[in-house]
Amino acid sequence: MASVSFRDVAKSFGHTKVIHGIGFDIADGEFTVLVGPSGCGKSTLLRMLAGLEEISGGTIAIDGKVVNDIDSKDRDIAMVFQSYALYPHMTVADNMGFSMRLRRADAGLTAQRVAQAAKILNLDNYLHRYPRELSGGQRQRVAMGRAIVRDPKVFLFDEPLSNLDAKLRVAMRAEIKALHQRLKTTTVYVTHDQVEAMTMADKIVVMQDGRIEQIGSPLELYDRPNNLFVAQFIGSPAMNVVTGTLRRQGGQAWVEGDGHARWPVEAGGPGVDGQAVTYGVRPEHLSVAGPDASVQAEVIVVEPTGAETELLVQVGGSQIVLVLHGRSAVQPGDKVGLAVETGAVHLFDPASGRSLAIPEPARRAA
Amino acid sequence: MKWKAVATEAKLLLIGIPLFLWTVIPVYHLVLFAISPRDSATSGKLWPDHPTLQNFAIVFQRKHFYLDHFWIQLWNSVLIAVAVAAITLFVATSAAFAISRLKVRGGRTVMNLALFTYFIPAAFLAVPMYKTMGNYGILNSQWALILAMVTIASPYCIWVLKQASDKLPFELDEAARMDGASPLQLFRLVYLPLMVPSLVAVGTYALLLAWNEYLYAFLLLSNDTSTTLAVALGNFLSADDSPWELLMATGLIYALPPAAIYYAFKRYMVGGLTAGAVKS
Repeated sequence: MASVSFRDVAKSFGHTKVIHGIGFDIADGEFTVLVGPSGCGKSTLLRMLAGLEEISGGTIAIDGKVVNDIDSKDRDIAMVFQSYALYPHMTVADNMGFSMRLRRADAGLTAQRVAQAAKILNLDNYLHRYPRELSGGQRQRVAMGRAIVRDPKVFLFDEPLSNLDAKLRVAMRAEIKALHQRLKTTTVYVTHDQVEAMTMADKIVVMQDGRIEQIGSPLELYDRPNNLFVAQFIGSPAMNVVTGTLRRQGGQAWVEGDGHARWPVEAGGPGVDGQAVTYGVRPEHLSVAGPDASVQAEVIVVEPTGAETELLVQVGGSQIVLVLHGRSAVQPGDKVGLAVETGAVHLFDPASGRSLAIPEPARRAA
Repeated sequence: MKWKAVATEAKLLLIGIPLFLWTVIPVYHLVLFAISPRDSATSGKLWPDHPTLQNFAIVFQRKHFYLDHFWIQLWNSVLIAVAVAAITLFVATSAAFAISRLKVRGGRTVMNLALFTYFIPAAFLAVPMYKTMGNYGILNSQWALILAMVTIASPYCIWVLKQASDKLPFELDEAARMDGASPLQLFRLVYLPLMVPSLVAVGTYALLLAWNEYLYAFLLLSNDTSTTLAVALGNFLSADDSPWELLMATGLIYALPPAAIYYAFKRYMVGGLTAGAVKS
């Protein structure tokens, strides 16, 4: 159990700077997810916390104690690797008890802790097997068991689910979350999958190109993205964006977009008449309306998934995705109007990508 | 289609048959001489009229001038081969671990320099090696031969082990480090067990290299009781009327341990030990 804080942390490989002065805090017991596209520096940041990479600048502290010069074995953290990294010549029990063995812990205590962890992870019947005799999901659980047995201050997960198939991934996602709720150990979890981030995190740190784009709870990021990158990265299907010109006339506001579309905007919102903006609206905030709607579209694809229906429609040069609850009678080729929940619309500055709802640059640690 | 298969088969046989004869005829010759009585050894027959094991009895009972020190020389060969294998393994494993896993600065350069020594034929190094051992004052001691053979075997063994080490997933080291392993614990508890197949291969190589060595043994050990059986075999030919049947019988005995070692360790020299370590 511990807090973690990053202060102005930087990393370069040779002359290439991959992390540009990152700072944020993780509270005791918090489940924090670092998320971003590949190459954004999230894994590097995690490995710096683990002590597997040198810290080029700034400090990382665990429980208020700076760990820059502390060897990873003395940081009291456990890591679950993407590739599991199980010791192939040891049984499941030996794998899980290895850290205790290195610390010359009492064999009885080790066996007890291993049994406990195995019980939590449903590995009781596999303790005498070797990693090669296990399925992917079981290996993943052994890797987690190895971390649990140590009872460390911080758990680190480096894309632990990316080698599993889709169904198992969903199951393990729930398992990891349940595990965290049970153990309440501070956890830092790296993934490129925003769904994992959304479903598991207490706090999400969105990264791009070695910088933090935004930090917040999953729904905060979803509802109030600071910028276009976060807006489009979080959420599936991704937010629709169209570029256009903001109009505020006669107590009404809209964005003039491609294809004579007049995308409605709340009257009292930010931005001035004539300003170029990027208009963002999530698929579920759109619905099909009558022929007199201000946005007219042509249906291209209809994808019924049972509970929802996904529509891909063409508005001028842009393709827009709608998610409708229940079934829809529209057919490909139909001309439909689009209605927008104006309260859920986001406007961004096209040049900087910054949300117009944010008063001043809220970009952290540039 | 049939013709193509036949043609392929024919090509393989064309290579295979000469290769088979090339390998088998000397062995056949060796066995033939070893089981022939003295006077019929060179009679030119494909199989002796009266095959006998008498020659082996003579060898084992040391009933010949050349065989006075048979047992002690055989023991010397064993001792030197085992020592060379053990020391080479120690040197090569440590070096490979340091170069490949600990990524010691300059490690690769050291390895390449060591490999570079193979550009110079061992025969060229024989005299300098003799002088060096003289300087050390260990000429005629079996340590001279052991050290010389370790020197010759090590570069190749380091290289082979380094290549094998590179294939072990690096995450294993990281996981062990995070589990609290010191480099030595990592070496002992994770690295060595996973390297067993390569260690067996490399150890066998060093063992056989030392076992089969003639030139350096001949040069560095001149005492009849300290030299190896390989040198003793060479001494059979120092007179005009060499006892060929005894030479061949001794040679056959000398050739058996390598064959036995090869078959004993063959099963260890297989991959697949790292299965399950990481997702691949």
